[in-house]
Amino acid sequence: MVSTTSRPLTGQPQFDTCDPLSPRRLSQALLPSSHDSHDPQPSTPAHKYLGRLRASVRVTMATEDARYRQSSQYRLWSFSPTHLQSLREKTNSLAVSHISSRLRASSPPVDPLPDFLTPADEAMLLNFYIVDLLRAAQFCELPSEIQATAAIFFRRFYVTNSLMTYPPRALTMTCIFFACKAEGLYYRLQKFADKFPGITGEEVLAAEYVLCQGLRFAFDVRHPYRALEGAVMELRRLGDFDEARIVRAHQRTRDILKFSPLLTDAYFHYTPSQIMFGALSMADEGLLQRLLRDAFSGQSESSKNHVLETVQSCRAMLEKEPPERRTTFWDASGSKEAMKPLNKKLRKCRDPDRVDLVALQKARREQALQKTKGKVATKDDSDVFGASNGTVKDDEREAKRRRVAAGADMFGPPL
Amino acid sequence: MAVSPLILHPTSALQNTRSVSSPLKNAASTQTSSNGTPLAIQVVPNAAAAAQSTSLDIAEQLNEDEKRKYVKGKKLGEGTYANVYLGFLRSDPSQLVAIKKIKIQKEYTEGMAPDAVREIKHLQELSHPNIITMHSVFSSKDQNLNLVLEYLPLGDLEMLIHDTEHIRYGAADIKAWMGMLTRAIWFCHQNFVLHRDIKPNNLLIAADGEVKLADFGLARSFSDPYRPMTSNVITRWYRPPELLFGAQHYSGAVDIWSVGLVLAELVIRTPYIAGNSEIHQIQLICQAVGTPTEENWPGVTKLPDYTVDKEVIPLRGRDHYMTLFGTLGAEGVDLLMKTLSLDPKKRITAHEMLKHDWWHKDPRPTRKQDLPKKSGGQAKVGDDLKRRPGVIDEEKGNKVARKLDFGATK
Repeated sequence: MVSTTSRPLTGQPQFDTCDPLSPRRLSQALLPSSHDSHDPQPSTPAHKYLGRLRASVRVTMATEDARYRQSSQYRLWSFSPTHLQSLREKTNSLAVSHISSRLRASSPPVDPLPDFLTPADEAMLLNFYIVDLLRAAQFCELPSEIQATAAIFFRRFYVTNSLMTYPPRALTMTCIFFACKAEGLYYRLQKFADKFPGITGEEVLAAEYVLCQGLRFAFDVRHPYRALEGAVMELRRLGDFDEARIVRAHQRTRDILKFSPLLTDAYFHYTPSQIMFGALSMADEGLLQRLLRDAFSGQSESSKNHVLETVQSCRAMLEKEPPERRTTFWDASGSKEAMKPLNKKLRKCRDPDRVDLVALQKARREQALQKTKGKVATKDDSDVFGASNGTVKDDEREAKRRRVAAGADMFGPPL
Repeated sequence: MAVSPLILHPTSALQNTRSVSSPLKNAASTQTSSNGTPLAIQVVPNAAAAAQSTSLDIAEQLNEDEKRKYVKGKKLGEGTYANVYLGFLRSDPSQLVAIKKIKIQKEYTEGMAPDAVREIKHLQELSHPNIITMHSVFSSKDQNLNLVLEYLPLGDLEMLIHDTEHIRYGAADIKAWMGMLTRAIWFCHQNFVLHRDIKPNNLLIAADGEVKLADFGLARSFSDPYRPMTSNVITRWYRPPELLFGAQHYSGAVDIWSVGLVLAELVIRTPYIAGNSEIHQIQLICQAVGTPTEENWPGVTKLPDYTVDKEVIPLRGRDHYMTLFGTLGAEGVDLLMKTLSLDPKKRITAHEMLKHDWWHKDPRPTRKQDLPKKSGGQAKVGDDLKRRPGVIDEEKGNKVARKLDFGATK
């Protein structure tokens, strides 16, 4: 089970796997093998050494590691590989069984049922759409952190939601738009939608709420970009290398970071500084070795090797999606071709009720509205039913409702 | 595994029970759902059914788990931005929380409001005894955001400062409160977060007397060097000169200026520099502290909105502050002067503040359980939390206007 959102009431974050405050009956009933996948810790204990490089910044606060452990990225969005895998399998099977029963229940029932996406299919499609997302974000000329935030939002969202449930194309737009908001860049909705023909503002917003819930309201994503700038400064300070080599490695590492960690599960398993080191190691292993030697001077060889091991395993993960893959993904009609059958499959097996997010959003609003109405005013039922017919009338009704509901507070709060 | 139908847990009497809707209810809204893409299967899409769907994917389960941990109780306050309810932990009813339910904002048509996003984003990351704790966030079926916050029943610092008739406090109390505020802001800055709205009524008081910094609706992460930030932040009376001059690249020093003015206000029990416009605010700063010039602040005249009166008022000396704030003692006045440095580069940092001598001088800060308290804070906690975060005072007028306007158009 994913660790709980809540913090215990002592105000201190808690990292124990079993939060005594949280009854998890429902989820335990539904999730398999909750025992072995219970650990919210990343597979590596090595962020003990996180941020050694920035020792000069460190003041008296415990350590940078402790600080990182308070982050939502660690508390809510770091898993061991087995845990992540089981979450994805569960998400997939929940979607399959939900859609199956929906199709069987429709009249006439759908028979035979379509082929559903497997978790492996979903993983392939996920990356296809992330590349798509990055291309769209670049088209909007967004800074790389915001591009990365959008990609990670997308990746996180589809850990607990299936591609068959919510249409990925629409979610890429929502993720980009919301990432801008989360990073404090206020893109006007209309201006944003205008960039993409065929997309309306309404469609961009339709999934925003669902996205936020899927993100578990963790809007802060920690990226390795600033860590890289710090490491480069540190390398210059050491003075052991000629500038050209550092510049080359800097450039290469940055290219890797803008792509590889977003197309792999690196953010789920490694800390930002580990990811940065992994990428640096891909670019220039010698520089990494030098930095680690410096950071661990006076400490045992084994603690250094421990970190090195983690960095190497992170590097191995990043190497599966080197930045060159971006161009093959982008240009080659080959990749589109390869994805075609999968996209076709997706079209046949997706949740028929959630394809149209705008309608879904409308229905949800409608439902909430009726609930509030029921409580506030004593209108008769025909009024309620009438409300769902035309939008104009809806607006009127909504205004009326608000006036009633606002009640005492028509003239603003007490000064 | 088959989808388990949602097990409806018995809801407590305090919670709204979700009524089972009639099957006819959504009949009218089902047809509009196709966006032109032909469906591969002949199934009539039914968004309404999906909206009411009782099957839960993992995301929904997690949200449900969070929601179920708390029981919502009576309403403490109602506002345009949010309603605040008293709540408690289902598993331990003695543990109280405040549940802030953010309303969907009809007038904001760009989706989730930025102030809510900022507040949630930063409170998720910050965990410190002097910063309000956000235990959880969950969404309700009607798509409202619910923030489960620490319950802080004793009102805010502004109430204590301004209730001069009933509340007495001394130098030791001021020192204790300032210690808590300084630690809070130090922690924010350590985590690369600017609060940008420090003022007495954003400092809430817990049952044990601990002061907690709240309202992160204007907060933001430190910007990269080349990226501009807005200068239109911090309530005017607490806004530092560089922001009044329109600076777009600034630092934690903006918060320190506000902290300094809270200190001054704690002593004189009235806002120290209370301008009624931005120009007036600058004039008052010149009178209280001195006119910013190239001598005392290199580069100030290059700021976009730099305007000061022709008559240059020299920097105020220590004696001036001693006559006004002498109760703080020489060290306290020294600290105050360092927070009110015109040039943000020379202004003391939160870390330096914590190392200042004042804390070690007599009188020792009051223990938090012995600090002056005010009763009847429960209504106040509702008031404080329901406010739109980050509303700065001049917006008060706008808000009322908008509401009246809104009523008139319909």
